[in-house]
Amino acid sequence: MSRPSAQAVWTVFLLSLIGALVLQLIALPDSLSAARPLWLPLMLAYWALREPQLPALVPAFIAGLMLDVLYAAPFGQHALGLVVVVYLVVRLRSFFIIFPLWQATIALIPAWALYCFLMFWVDGATQHEAEVWLRWLPAISTTLFWPLLWSVMELIRQPGGDDD
Amino acid sequence: MNSLHDSYHRPLFPRGPGLGLRTLLLIALALTLIFNDMRGDSLKPARAWTAYALTPVVWLASVPARLIGMARGIDTRSHIESENAALKQQQFVLSAKLSKMDALEAENRRLRELLASSARLADQVLVAEIVAVNQDPYRHQITLNRGSRDGIYRGQALVDAYGVMGQVIDVAPNSCKALLVTDPDHGIPVEINRTGLQTIAVGLGDERGLRLPFLPSNADIKNGDLLVSSSLGGRFPAGYPVGKVYDVKPVAGEHFMEAYAYPAARLNQGRQALLVWNHDSESAADAAAAAQTAADQTHTPSSATAAQAPVAAPAPAAKPASPPAEPPAADAGTRAQP
Repeated sequence: MSRPSAQAVWTVFLLSLIGALVLQLIALPDSLSAARPLWLPLMLAYWALREPQLPALVPAFIAGLMLDVLYAAPFGQHALGLVVVVYLVVRLRSFFIIFPLWQATIALIPAWALYCFLMFWVDGATQHEAEVWLRWLPAISTTLFWPLLWSVMELIRQPGGDDD
Repeated sequence: MNSLHDSYHRPLFPRGPGLGLRTLLLIALALTLIFNDMRGDSLKPARAWTAYALTPVVWLASVPARLIGMARGIDTRSHIESENAALKQQQFVLSAKLSKMDALEAENRRLRELLASSARLADQVLVAEIVAVNQDPYRHQITLNRGSRDGIYRGQALVDAYGVMGQVIDVAPNSCKALLVTDPDHGIPVEINRTGLQTIAVGLGDERGLRLPFLPSNADIKNGDLLVSSSLGGRFPAGYPVGKVYDVKPVAGEHFMEAYAYPAARLNQGRQALLVWNHDSESAADAAAAAQTAADQTHTPSSATAAQAPVAAPAPAAKPASPPAEPPAADAGTRAQP
């Protein structure tokens, strides 16, 4: 299959980031909102794995700043977390892509946990107290959503499912 | 996952700073931003404009909730008719009460004039729609569709039909963010309606509502007491209900009692809120600005501090005048010590 043009890749990339931002904002019932998957880290990790030639660091930083404004968090909190996650995934890319999907799902858990910890740490450093144990729920839900996101994104980007 | 095509070519001679260096730079930038954001207001305009640019995203995220609301709005004719009848009846009763209220308000104003009191009854208000609720479960914040273009200012009080909801913390040109009274970062000066005891209610961070810490152990407070907002601090207009006490208990090993209260406002119901202009605080801000300019002009530190003193520390200056002598005095003492 011929590779899509760089422009098309960028368009899909930016659109998917906005989509992840919207998913991050959609209202959930109170009981579920603590377990909201980390859509932005998920989406950025997908792109970092799938299209490593994209300079995903700066978009990750900017998307993080947007999320900070939308969540009224300290300016830079989510940006920090996203940059760290993207860096990890890009650096360890050769490690992640040799696994089949389900093993990669498990291999990515530390990345989500690290993101959760960074959010928790910045919250603590800026004197915003919160429940400790519920903090780790997103790591679980994000893990569960990784295969789904991967498959859906693959479907969207290559309708027909050719095996290249 | 192993179906990746290998048309990815790593450039043989990479240009520009490497991945690690770029990451380090961005991390340093993020940490600087966090630090600056916690220490001052210098990033507020950037925040306001980002929020403005993200309005479409917020709108997009509210679409599913709106669709669900619309689907719920479909109703049978008979139900709507019966509801309409009930509402008409209720409106009739309320308007009768309101007409009496007008007379009472006029009478009250006359009596207050007789007493030479300057307390105002009619507040200037603006109805705002709640367009988003912060989806971070540890921040109790809402976004309203009014901003600096409507004259909203930081620290403005927010009420609903049942009581105080919170205050505005962030203003963008066409929207603003408000902190609810149940947020753990929020504190509000309150007065116990029955006794006039002045204290502070801080948010608990969950649905249980408000906590009244550091009450003197002999304070007269019991279950069912109504908390109303007090104008100490000059931020909230006085007299709006804030909550109802449901538990009072001594703190083990301390000389204080703590009370817990449910918020009076219905924080997670309804889509509308009232923004209230507190004329005291605005005039205080004006006075502060005037004092500032005066200080700038004269450059005499003594007059500047004298002029700013009542503005900088409104709470001690406006200590309760009428309420029973003993509990508030003890309360003031306990609050001053820590």
